[in-house]
Amino acid sequence: MFITRKSLPRRTFLRGVGATVALPLLDAMVPAVTAQSKTAARPLLRFGAVFVPNGAIMEQWIPSTPGIGFEFSPILKPLEAFKDRLVVVSNLTRANPGVVEGDHAISAAGFLTGVYPKRTEAEDVSAGVSVDQLVARQIGQETPFPSLELATADFTGYIGACTSGFSCGYINTISWSSPTTPQPMEFNPRTVFERMFGRPGTPEQRSARRQRNLSVLDEIARQAGDMQRQLGARDRARLDEYLQNVREIERRIQRAAADNSTNVTSVELPVGIPESFEEHVTLMYDLLAVAYQADLTRVATFMTDRELSARTYPQLGVNEQHHTVSHHGNDPKNIAQVAKINTYHSTLFGKFLAKLQATPDGDGSLLDHSLIFYGGGMGNPNQHASDPLPMVAVGGGVGKGHRHVQLAPRTPVGNLWLTVAQKYDSPIARIGESNGTIDFF
Amino acid sequence: MKNRLFIIAALWLGAVTWVFPQSAGSGAAIPGATPARASAPSAHRDVVATYCTSCHNERLKTAGLALDRISIDDVAGSAEIWEKVVRKVRGGLMPPAGARRPDARTRDAFVTSIETELDRAWAARPNPGRPLLRRLNRAEYGNAVRDLLAMDVDVAALLPPDDSAYGFDNIADALNVSPALQERYLAAAEKIGELAFGDAEMGMLSETYHVRGDVSQNQHLDGMPLGTIGGTRINHFFPRDGEYVFQTRLFRTNFDNMRGIEYPHEFELTIDGARVHHAAIGGPADLAAAFERPKETADAIDERLGVRIRVSAGPHDVVAAFIGSAPTADATKLRPFLKSAFDTLDWTGRPHVRMLTITGPFNATGSGDTPARQRIFTCRPASQRNEDECARQIVTTLARRAFREPVNETDLQPLLAFYKTGKQEGGFDVGIERALQLILASPKFVFRLERDPANLKPGAVYKVSDFDLASRLSFFLWSSIPDEELLAEASAGRLKNPAVLERQTRRMLADPKAQALVSNFASQWLHLRNLRNVQPHADDFPDFDDNLRQAFRRETELLFESVMRDDRSVVDLLRADYTFVNERLARHYGIPNVYGSQFRRVPVPDEERKGLLGHGSILTLTSHATRTSPVVRGKWILENILGTPPPSPPPDVPTLKENEKGQKPKTMREQMAEHRANPTCASCHKIMDPIGFALENFDAVGAWRTEDAGTPIDASGELTDGTHINGVVALRNAILARPDLFAGTMTEKLLVYALGRGLDHHDMPVVRAILREAAAKDYRFSSLILGIVDSVPFQMRVKMEAQ
Repeated sequence: MFITRKSLPRRTFLRGVGATVALPLLDAMVPAVTAQSKTAARPLLRFGAVFVPNGAIMEQWIPSTPGIGFEFSPILKPLEAFKDRLVVVSNLTRANPGVVEGDHAISAAGFLTGVYPKRTEAEDVSAGVSVDQLVARQIGQETPFPSLELATADFTGYIGACTSGFSCGYINTISWSSPTTPQPMEFNPRTVFERMFGRPGTPEQRSARRQRNLSVLDEIARQAGDMQRQLGARDRARLDEYLQNVREIERRIQRAAADNSTNVTSVELPVGIPESFEEHVTLMYDLLAVAYQADLTRVATFMTDRELSARTYPQLGVNEQHHTVSHHGNDPKNIAQVAKINTYHSTLFGKFLAKLQATPDGDGSLLDHSLIFYGGGMGNPNQHASDPLPMVAVGGGVGKGHRHVQLAPRTPVGNLWLTVAQKYDSPIARIGESNGTIDFF
Repeated sequence: MKNRLFIIAALWLGAVTWVFPQSAGSGAAIPGATPARASAPSAHRDVVATYCTSCHNERLKTAGLALDRISIDDVAGSAEIWEKVVRKVRGGLMPPAGARRPDARTRDAFVTSIETELDRAWAARPNPGRPLLRRLNRAEYGNAVRDLLAMDVDVAALLPPDDSAYGFDNIADALNVSPALQERYLAAAEKIGELAFGDAEMGMLSETYHVRGDVSQNQHLDGMPLGTIGGTRINHFFPRDGEYVFQTRLFRTNFDNMRGIEYPHEFELTIDGARVHHAAIGGPADLAAAFERPKETADAIDERLGVRIRVSAGPHDVVAAFIGSAPTADATKLRPFLKSAFDTLDWTGRPHVRMLTITGPFNATGSGDTPARQRIFTCRPASQRNEDECARQIVTTLARRAFREPVNETDLQPLLAFYKTGKQEGGFDVGIERALQLILASPKFVFRLERDPANLKPGAVYKVSDFDLASRLSFFLWSSIPDEELLAEASAGRLKNPAVLERQTRRMLADPKAQALVSNFASQWLHLRNLRNVQPHADDFPDFDDNLRQAFRRETELLFESVMRDDRSVVDLLRADYTFVNERLARHYGIPNVYGSQFRRVPVPDEERKGLLGHGSILTLTSHATRTSPVVRGKWILENILGTPPPSPPPDVPTLKENEKGQKPKTMREQMAEHRANPTCASCHKIMDPIGFALENFDAVGAWRTEDAGTPIDASGELTDGTHINGVVALRNAILARPDLFAGTMTEKLLVYALGRGLDHHDMPVVRAILREAAAKDYRFSSLILGIVDSVPFQMRVKMEAQ
């Protein structure tokens, strides 16, 4: 799968302040990756879910008219270029409609799970399996990564800045592989890169390293098994999870070893976490696009920022912190500021879509072979509204585009996810508080 | 009437809030110091009947509590409820303001006797809490590697951050495992092994060190060598002997203007204090060129700063900075404390180092002789025949330290098998490296496993083994593995001896590694880690830069550290008459005659600045970007100083409106009056807000002020017991009147941190016991630590069910 490209410029170069830097030695580690999907009998339908925090100004999100050929709302305007591959879904609600307690925690934890998570600030968190993980169970095992979970916020600098009564764990991720297993999100682009493409080296070195890691895994699996026998039930369950993970990693390494594709694309090794939010988000989108393209994964989630984010957007003229200003108090000035942030986030998402559209994949583009949701778990942030939620679906997977699917008020978001899971042949019968499917595809 | 009940219920909803007590007792208020036999239960029945059950009865069940349904004769039978009752009553929270209240004597007698009962019942059946399987978190992993291999690794780059619970990131059950996480641990083991051995297979590496954009570099920086201005200093680990490229890049605006190039500057790169590169930049030629071709000129200037030099393997101190002793640039366009604004056209000021990239090795000549290799190779095989014997010794030593207990043949076999494979591949060193990689990846290293003795029944409470105790102690005090001395005491079976344990604890507290209590405990307890994300708005606070941010953090860390190192009363954290400042911070506080970037201990000249409540760190991290927040400050104090967090706010809370142009600006206090309009808000805000208002003389970056929006600051307020306070000094005195509350809060936080779990009612007798002992020692730092180390949950464990 990996070949070395010798043709990269030897000179180091720099793209803007804090941007990615490619250095001479890194040539050796620039991987050559390929899309395998064109060899597949039918085009693969990648799944993605992109999360935006702190709700949205819904009057400027939801198009004014339902049905086909709607006029784009201000916040979604940056996505108009993809209208033929885009569907707006309105009137969804998170679990426990009308209940706003736990608000921000539920906005994140309930976004893809459709549940109202257990109220706890302790370690006994419990939500539900998120739709990305249900999809990953169907299509994830054929790729090195069943799913990728990406974010931008390092949550270690937010002590005490979570929702009262609810664990911080609920807002550090949107992906749950089981009701009690939040999937950690990775925010360092360099780490994402190294996970995806491995470390530098010749093909022989890479192969030797893989073999070594496999024998380390074998041995630690054996040790963990031994340890398990000496433990009580609770600890044993913990180590059991550990062991399953070891097997999952083994599978991934073997998968990478078996992969010997030849088509070429390259990304630069990122130096770390860019200081600018825009560059950080863009870089994560870039990595995500490459991961899809190279068929490293077919399922991904991305939190563009965390709930309760205190980020300011001076470049937009928004000097108040995002969360603070999102409690706009119906002040038109504040509403305008929040809408600016919402629109900016859609603009960045639009650039990602453009990249997918520009990337050939089989008989079409990556965008043609994707189903990507963009939205959040909170409506009007002023009162932490449980509905209507901001939600857009993009990609060839939406079927007929330029539609505004206006559901019955307070349709559980679980209904949407159930519909999606079933599209991927998931046997699941219920997601969160779902009470049926929706007429979507 | 209905309304009043509603307010009372709203107060109760929050489970725990805090009210300043009417009688300002002293440490003598600590319960049960000499537990007397409980006084006649009938007296307590009367107290409950008179003051409690009019709301908390079977019919009303206010806050879900019916005290007429549980027997006061059997306190232990409803320990969970009574623990809540005593916490509220002792704190003066119940009965609520406005209701009939017992006098202080009646209250104290009531509370003391119930606590005594609770403590007695607990002592009869000590409960150490749930047994836990703890994974090393990121900080612990990094420290363990440091202590095992004499090598500092950038653990933040190797491992993901850990989830936290109860305010700390070392909580056992919050430390999940996932494939992504385990993959990172596996990769970390491999990378650390290669670095430690200087493995040639690493090839070239490139590390880039960024300097935050908001660091002012117009003057000497704290921690930099004398005679330098700005720049950056790093401790870089060079994996092998060889040549390395050092490329420094300067800050430039997005129009490619470099700061300071109108004047000449001398750049210097030093390694371990010796100059290895020198370059002149700036002056008329560069300035003229920059006018013509800004990008090419800036690139050329950066190029002058690059150099390729031979460096020996191991850690080296690398400094990239400008030489000089005083600011030379015209500072008219910049504020006195010189913010590095991202102005796109401005080139005044001094050049700022933006990043330093170290790439190499080129032409590597060997693994060199690094501290890591010296630590690992406790023997060197004299000939090939001795190799396996020596390997066994090395691997045994490493494994014992890493696994924190003696290793047996079963542990050694796989390690030696890895050694053998590696040796066949690449010789003796490679063999040891493979064994090390396995050690670091092993669940025995990554998990803190405590094995239950086979001969006990499930549910039995027992003292953990000496080795487990050694680990509990070292991870508590050092966030790391035990050292040789501690392991030796454990091997000798002496660690459970109280005198030995105390001696070891004191020794470890005096060790530099106890710095972990500052960087991991204090920084999370006091939320100092949040400072990183604090960004006061530049229009309102143009002088705020990273230098000030770092100084804030440093001051609080140094105060905590001095209390720890000098074993002072922890109450000094609130009242110390000294603090630690450098010039930047001293100016901010208005402390005269402090020059230079290094921190030093100075007397606090103003009463208002004394202790944590006067620290810029706390005051800034509890403010918004554009203004102070009395609510956040009040909440922070309730949670972290007084241990009584307020309940969550109701939904639909609008933000305070910004002042409109042309309107007479409203003061913070006027804006906050809105809280009083709504009774639901008022029930909690009347507790929080007066505390926050008392700090209003400190602005959103902790600078002293006497007016806000043109109106004089009004820092007066009324605490819930009716006490009038005005300003930070009165607030501090009110808190200091009950040192047991502060010491109790800190003890609870320390206990959570030490045990890696949240506390429940079973732990309250433990907290009280620690406080009783500590009160007699004026709450010295060591008295809290020793109390925890001595406690049942720290030393004991419940055997788990087999199934």
